[in-house]
Amino acid sequence: MIRPNNPATPIPLKNITMLTIKNLHASIEEDGTEILKGLDLTVNAGEVHAIMGPNGSGKSTLASVLAGREDYEVTEGSIDFDGEDLLEMETDERAREGLFLAFQYPVELPGVSMSNFLKQAVNSVREHRGEEPLSAGDFLKLMKEKAALVHLDPSLKTRSVNEGFSGGEKKRNEIFQLAMLDPKLAILDETDSGLDIDALRIVADGVNDLRGEDRAFVVITHYQRLLDYIVPDFVHVLVDGKIVMSGGKELALELEEKGYDWIKADTGQAV
Amino acid sequence: MQIEQKLLNEINARLERQDANGGNGWASTRRLAAGAFKDMGLPTRRSEAYKYTPVAKRFTDNLTLENEAGTVQATRALEQLDGIHLSTTNGLLDSVPAHLPSGLTISSLVDAYQGNRVFVNDHLSRAFVAERDAFSSLAAAAAEDGILIHVAANTAVDQTIVIHHDNVSSSGLVQPRLLVVADKGASVQIIEHFGHAGASSAFENRIAEMMVADGGSIDHVLIFERSEEATFVNGLHVYQEGSSHYATNTITLGGGMVRNNLHFLPDGEECETHLNGLYIARGSQHIDNHTFVDHAKPNCESNELFKGIVADTATGVFNGKILVRQDSQKINAYQSSKSILLDRSASIYAKPELEIYADDVRCSHGATTGELDEDALFYLRARGIPAEKARLLLLEAFARDVVDLIKEGSVRDYLYARLHAILEAHAS
Repeated sequence: MIRPNNPATPIPLKNITMLTIKNLHASIEEDGTEILKGLDLTVNAGEVHAIMGPNGSGKSTLASVLAGREDYEVTEGSIDFDGEDLLEMETDERAREGLFLAFQYPVELPGVSMSNFLKQAVNSVREHRGEEPLSAGDFLKLMKEKAALVHLDPSLKTRSVNEGFSGGEKKRNEIFQLAMLDPKLAILDETDSGLDIDALRIVADGVNDLRGEDRAFVVITHYQRLLDYIVPDFVHVLVDGKIVMSGGKELALELEEKGYDWIKADTGQAV
Repeated sequence: MQIEQKLLNEINARLERQDANGGNGWASTRRLAAGAFKDMGLPTRRSEAYKYTPVAKRFTDNLTLENEAGTVQATRALEQLDGIHLSTTNGLLDSVPAHLPSGLTISSLVDAYQGNRVFVNDHLSRAFVAERDAFSSLAAAAAEDGILIHVAANTAVDQTIVIHHDNVSSSGLVQPRLLVVADKGASVQIIEHFGHAGASSAFENRIAEMMVADGGSIDHVLIFERSEEATFVNGLHVYQEGSSHYATNTITLGGGMVRNNLHFLPDGEECETHLNGLYIARGSQHIDNHTFVDHAKPNCESNELFKGIVADTATGVFNGKILVRQDSQKINAYQSSKSILLDRSASIYAKPELEIYADDVRCSHGATTGELDEDALFYLRARGIPAEKARLLLLEAFARDVVDLIKEGSVRDYLYARLHAILEAHAS
């Protein structure tokens, strides 16, 4: 079922646990600096969780660790993804299992056309699910349909991935790829950064269209602004590598008003 | 070195034999070239230009000019191409194709000389400077015949000329000679293919001269795919008059040791020169591209892009020299060389050399050498694409960038398929 484009509409939750992070510790591979220091988080199917926090609190590290970036080493803890040990999987296996990371800084791939890139990605995921590769016609149809979701020009298929894309186009392209790959869990890493209000609205509308009872979102953001458009079910505050406070969507407004310092004081966290 | 004297003796014997038969042709320029070779000798590794590429070591004492007829039957990979097809045996033209369009002459050099000795004397050995290149001097001294492609003034040859260099002596020194002349306003497109020649251990030392007159145009592609036993020294000498266009794309996929010596002399204003190249070195291959653009006249533009992928224990070398002479103002010269190392045991030596004596010019160069971009790989894998496929995708994109500059679509398609097949084995 696709959730209608109205974030206020309640959706029936099946209470399937999509992601369980327990006591996660992660360090920078290169110098051993610990960034995540015992993070716990549970995300059920159909839910949208926002993770907020000051700069340097570990938000993007969390996204990178979930996606399997090798620059980070997990030293303790566990991550269960839909019944499987996520940390045992390679980056591409995670993606084929249905984990999607919308990059904060999408990478430019000169010479790799959007259509070739997406064909390989979509068919890798389909093969993993035991489905036939899409025919050329069906693939084009799917591309056209999903590109419209984020107002991307269909002519983009011949362009190199992200090369010469504007900042807004790059972010819309991430949501477009999300729609193409139909993941179980989508992590949006600062998708709002560098977007003007119109682009933000387009991106948020695209995400809202993709909300559904089988899919969960983890929305990482520094600012409350995005959450006006993608209304979360839960808001978590990440400070110094740990979630120090959780609440409903109103917590985001409180953070916007008061900043992060009161939480640090309240929870005794050092900056 | 003993081999040098032995080859010179053979060359002199050939010249004397011809003199005794009443002489034919361009003996005087051959004698000049022989003299230049004698003075220079084979370049050793002590010579800066051959520091990384010990070609002379492959001049074993048993090399001789006397080649048996080529016996290796090669498959002609580009046979299906639309165009005018020529084939060579040991560098010599097998036969002149029938029904050539008017304005296009294709013949052996000997026949051309007999028909019009003034023309041959006016063009042969004009595009190359003997004192600069020992290998081309040797080839120019030794070659008794060769191939002429001549396009008359204001003739546009629509059909691509495809040369299949498909038969070579299995041992010995083969020194093919090619002369291409595009007269005023003439245009022509030439594809040369040195195909898989089985286990040929031939040493091919070729000299090609290409001359473009005022307003003329030559588009040239060379694809080298000989076996890993083969040695190839490719002397290309390009001479351009004003307002002319010349483009070459040198694709080296085969050979045990390959040295491309590519020289360009835009000797008139408003010339456009494009020199592009791609090489993939694997196993123990050694591939060296040396380019030299001599901007002798003002208001010209040159664009240079060379890319290489080096795997296993192979070696890649790039040296790109651009000379802008003092009175050559308003020159735009761009050079870029990029290479990817796939294994720790592989090596690349890259050196751009800009020598600029004019003050109102735009010149730039960039050289990068590295591994595949980790961020790009991660991005592809984060979309579910397995690591090997992601690497293949990036390697192909890297290499296709050069192939994309080739005008002829069917040649591009052939190379895309070859790149895929070769790189697939190196993406895991």
